[in-house]
Amino acid sequence: MESKILKPILAVYVGLFILFLYGPFIVLSILSFQQGPEGGPQFPIIEWSTYWYQHLFGLTPPSRIAPLPVGEALVRSLTLAFMTMVTATVLGVMAAQAFRKRFRGAGVVFYLIVLGMMVPGVLTGLGTSLLANNVVGIERHWWSTAFLAHVVYTFPFAFLVMLAILNRFDGSVEEASWSLGVSPITTFRKVTFPLIFPGVLSAMLFAFTLSFDEFPRTLFASGRDQTLPLAIYGTFSVEIHPNIFAFGVMTTLFSFALLAVYGILMGLSVRRAKKMAMQEDIA
Amino acid sequence: MSAAIGKRQKATTFQLLAPGVVWMILFLVAPIMMIVYVSFWTQTTFAINSTLTLDSWRNFFASEAYVGALWTTIRLWLIVLTLTFLIGYPAALYVGLLVKSKTVATVLLVLCVIPFWTSFLIRVLAWRPMLGKEGAINIILQKVGLIDTPIEVLLFSELSVIIGMTQIYVVFMVGPIAFMLGRIDRNIIEAARDLGAGFGRIFWKIIFPLSLPGVVVGAIFVSVMVLGEFATSGALSGRKVNLLGNIIVTQVGSLKWAMASVVGVILTILLGIVVAGFLRIVDLKREI
Repeated sequence: MESKILKPILAVYVGLFILFLYGPFIVLSILSFQQGPEGGPQFPIIEWSTYWYQHLFGLTPPSRIAPLPVGEALVRSLTLAFMTMVTATVLGVMAAQAFRKRFRGAGVVFYLIVLGMMVPGVLTGLGTSLLANNVVGIERHWWSTAFLAHVVYTFPFAFLVMLAILNRFDGSVEEASWSLGVSPITTFRKVTFPLIFPGVLSAMLFAFTLSFDEFPRTLFASGRDQTLPLAIYGTFSVEIHPNIFAFGVMTTLFSFALLAVYGILMGLSVRRAKKMAMQEDIA
Repeated sequence: MSAAIGKRQKATTFQLLAPGVVWMILFLVAPIMMIVYVSFWTQTTFAINSTLTLDSWRNFFASEAYVGALWTTIRLWLIVLTLTFLIGYPAALYVGLLVKSKTVATVLLVLCVIPFWTSFLIRVLAWRPMLGKEGAINIILQKVGLIDTPIEVLLFSELSVIIGMTQIYVVFMVGPIAFMLGRIDRNIIEAARDLGAGFGRIFWKIIFPLSLPGVVVGAIFVSVMVLGEFATSGALSGRKVNLLGNIIVTQVGSLKWAMASVVGVILTILLGIVVAGFLRIVDLKREI
């Protein structure tokens, strides 16, 4: 009875909630088409233009507004995200694989790994830079200290994703393979891995995107060469221009593209699994 | 024979775990220990040495600005936590429980989760053109005729930090709650309804208690992230709101490693108390 009134009210509420989530970004996207170079980062739109997108790619004549220093930062961020993705996923798959067997101290190890995603970046970042700066005495770089901190952060995500997948995994197919005399490593490659592949894909997506956007750890743990989030943060302190809005639209589109690639690969692997299951049925 | 297999299995488990565990000990536990250790080091103007002292700790508690940052952090955390819960719960209730169609529920959930994959700093920045004096909200309110002069406290104030953080972190509350609500056996609710219970009663006696683990997980996520914040508070308050995280950043910026470490330790203790407190409400291990 009450839920008959409640449901439409909540439906409207959820609509407003989603507007709250996306509103700022929508406004930012609109303002990224502001006229340039005179147009400021606010309404009204003087004239619609793609000036700030051209500005971003260095296609506009020089003006008093300096181009965003994103070129090299982008390459660094992509490299770092890729390194982090590979390392975190490998560590995550290995650790989750170990958790399929009961062992002493499992609880402690579990919390030790999960701690990596729970400790705020400002603390891991500070600790890592203290260690590098004052104890080991090495210079901090995005590819060394920041990389270590990024893996600490993303490895738990990969681990939890893999744990969820392996919990639902039927071990009898592996046993069948072993009993046929196939070595454990070949079994993992030929039997286990294809079955857990969707999980691996999710773990990779988590690790890549989290590392690509990572900011607090990188701020402390990387040296003078900036990654993309650091370059964005640098613009916060100065007067902002619509070029940073155009940049925001581009990075968000990039995130969406990654999600789309993930979705397609996921769909393909699910379809392949279905096809294999059907072949088995026929046989 | 079986002992040999058991031994080999142990060795495999060890090999699989060793790299990850070593990584976490060296690059997570050691750095945190380091923060505790360095907080007792001696700070000179431009350098730091490992002579142990309590000076930095004394300086922290003697400084009104630092202790003030501690209270600001706690106050903002409580406000944002409450807001994310109050705003997030009804949305999670609809998405996780009330929507009948599976497709609609999935679409809504995906819409709620997508912001998680986009750049955090861009989400912070996106509030600038919304809240400014000539921002979207002021323009809309003026057009509608609700206000004559633009509201200035919307940007570069504590309010803007609260609005920004709530929007950024509310999805971490919605996700876990919607997940727990989705797992509720609909037959229990049917049964209660058949026995004549009204929605209010069903909600408080069945739905809310069963969703509590989700609330706790969401609250832990939000708390950990808000307590460790410095970017949102810095960028949306025009450096007026100083959280513990902001103090750490400025101290490191001026090479005051010892003071940064003191603040780091205080933040760690605060986090420990908060997370332990939440875990006392619900035994998460039993729930999952």
